[in-house]
Amino acid sequence: MNRRKFLTILGSAGVVSALGTAKVAEAGMHTFPYYADSYGVLHDTTRCIGCRRCEEACNKVNNLPKPEKPFTDLSVTATRRRTTAYEWTVVNKYEMNGKPVFRKLQCFHCNDPACASACFAKCFQKQPDGSVTYDGSQCVGCRYCMVACPFYVPGFQYDEAFDPLVQKCTFCEPRLKEGKLPGCVEACPVDALTFGRRSDLIKVARARIADNPGKYVNYVYGEFDAGGTAWMVLAPAAEGAPVPADSPAQAAPDLKQLGLNTHLGNRPMGELTYGALGAVPMIVAFWPVLFGGAYAMTKRREAISKLEQEKVLKEAREDVAAAVDAAVRKIEETEGEGAAERARRAMTEALKAREAEAACSKHGEDK
Amino acid sequence: MRNGTTLLLLAAMALAGAACLTAWGAGPVVAASLEPTDSGAPSAMVIFPVGEKPNPKGVGMKPVVFNHLIHEKKIEDCVTCHHTGDPVSCTTCHTVEGKAEGNFVTLERAMHATDIARRDKGNTPQSCVSCHEQQLRQRQCAGCHALVKPARNAAWCAVCHTGAPSMSSQQMQQGMAGKLPQAQNEALAAEVALAKKPVEYLTGLQAPYKVVIDALAEQYEPSVFTHRRHVSSLMERISDDKLAQAFHTRPETLCSTCHHNSPLSATPPKCGNCHTTNIDPKNPTRPTLKAAYHLQCMGCHKAMKVGRPLNTDCTTCHKQRAPQRAD
Repeated sequence: MNRRKFLTILGSAGVVSALGTAKVAEAGMHTFPYYADSYGVLHDTTRCIGCRRCEEACNKVNNLPKPEKPFTDLSVTATRRRTTAYEWTVVNKYEMNGKPVFRKLQCFHCNDPACASACFAKCFQKQPDGSVTYDGSQCVGCRYCMVACPFYVPGFQYDEAFDPLVQKCTFCEPRLKEGKLPGCVEACPVDALTFGRRSDLIKVARARIADNPGKYVNYVYGEFDAGGTAWMVLAPAAEGAPVPADSPAQAAPDLKQLGLNTHLGNRPMGELTYGALGAVPMIVAFWPVLFGGAYAMTKRREAISKLEQEKVLKEAREDVAAAVDAAVRKIEETEGEGAAERARRAMTEALKAREAEAACSKHGEDK
Repeated sequence: MRNGTTLLLLAAMALAGAACLTAWGAGPVVAASLEPTDSGAPSAMVIFPVGEKPNPKGVGMKPVVFNHLIHEKKIEDCVTCHHTGDPVSCTTCHTVEGKAEGNFVTLERAMHATDIARRDKGNTPQSCVSCHEQQLRQRQCAGCHALVKPARNAAWCAVCHTGAPSMSSQQMQQGMAGKLPQAQNEALAAEVALAKKPVEYLTGLQAPYKVVIDALAEQYEPSVFTHRRHVSSLMERISDDKLAQAFHTRPETLCSTCHHNSPLSATPPKCGNCHTTNIDPKNPTRPTLKAAYHLQCMGCHKAMKVGRPLNTDCTTCHKQRAPQRAD
């Protein structure tokens, strides 16, 4: 590698890194589209009675397998269940400031879903209606989405031997398209699940907190958490507690009892990785060109120099042959034909011996 | 005229009786009919918006006629209201502008504040409104008042701020300067307190006996709601409650818990008139009919600590419908 080559490669690397940083800066603004008119659901845990009607409806409308225990058995809420590939929503009972509170768990349908940011097969999509949908046709079963989800929602069909898929709440996207409510929302007897435009629901939540001082924790979980979620949660406040400011730190002790993490921050999870992951396609596209090009250039130069060398050699050889011819002719004129023949043979042998020596020494140098 | 003397005598007696009832009796009868208090405080008094600033036109909020007798019976200790331990009148320290003796807490705040911080030592003061709001948490009140927040409108203010019809503007000015003679103040208050009559409420007998709620019957049989029983039970519990009598100012007030958000009426609209089966696009945040029923019924039951039905025991109110046969 000569100086010029080195500088060329260094310059190219500089351009690549500059492009990379530009991409990261862009990711800081936003990447996934945020749909202003999207739908959401407000889950008011002060209303939830733990009747499991939502679980039953979810099971029915999504044709999920029948569970071991019937939905009328309410004792199962006492164990902290997680959503699985076959139970897309579960209602759990939590002890909150000494009182039982029920909370429904399902996919929160993030504005900017972490699962989608982690999936390299682009199986997850945030839809304009607010739902985060999954298309398993490209799924390779890596389960990065399950690792990425801050709410531990997606479930995997571990029992499927062939083509297992990741499964989670779909926000009943097919039903929304038909103009129907999600199954769970329709089944809820006490409006603990309020369906509406996300922007309206935030107003509803704020109004409920303002109209009932002391009833709610002054925090709408999901308004900003993890960059904002389509499903939001209101939690009951401890009786007689002073109304705290609307901040995750203030609400944390109460929400923690309800199994809600307030440490997720108000930026999308994916923002932490968009910079690095965004550079991946560029690396895939640019590095082969860069290094392939450098390789091709080197190869071409070698070929050219070899050609030139051969040309020079050939010319030199022709020169020597001409000189030998001239010398032999001169000897023929002066000494006779026999002497000329001897001289030619001697000269040819001497030349061959020299070439062989040169080749041998060149070989030696290489070693 | 054999009976002239008798007739004259009878006429004289009738006149005397009439005179007794009207002219002489007027003052003493009123004064005597307000029961005296145990503490020796006046049975009723007018609380004027006492201010320090000169107020030559006598502009101020309508004075409150405070029935000391009723309130005194309800509380355990005088210091509940007289929080310093000194039973002086409220306006001694709390004036319209506030003054140093009252820690610059204005009269308005002293009477209406609901966000009173708990004192670490000593007695935490109460305002009229904060104490009344506490009363709403009693079991017999909590059912409705968990669902309904009384509107803070002119009618709400007028419950206490009645003024006194026979008060002259001169008396008003004197009162606001804190210079109305005690006897006149008490006389004005007694007059208003005695004239106060509880409202004749609509009773369960005027309401439907049973209401069959069948608008949504599908998985369950229709629910038979014992309307009259519910109304009567609620009325019975608060029949002797003076606070309820004072603030439930209309015959239909009690109806307006369930039949909320519509003008008061003896024939209010049904739940389904506003609450639709599916989400109403015009009012997307209004609870649907199913939710409206359950929130109202179970909200009240929960607040009144009604043991039955459990809120997850659906078939207590509506029986499981037998599975429909295919043929």
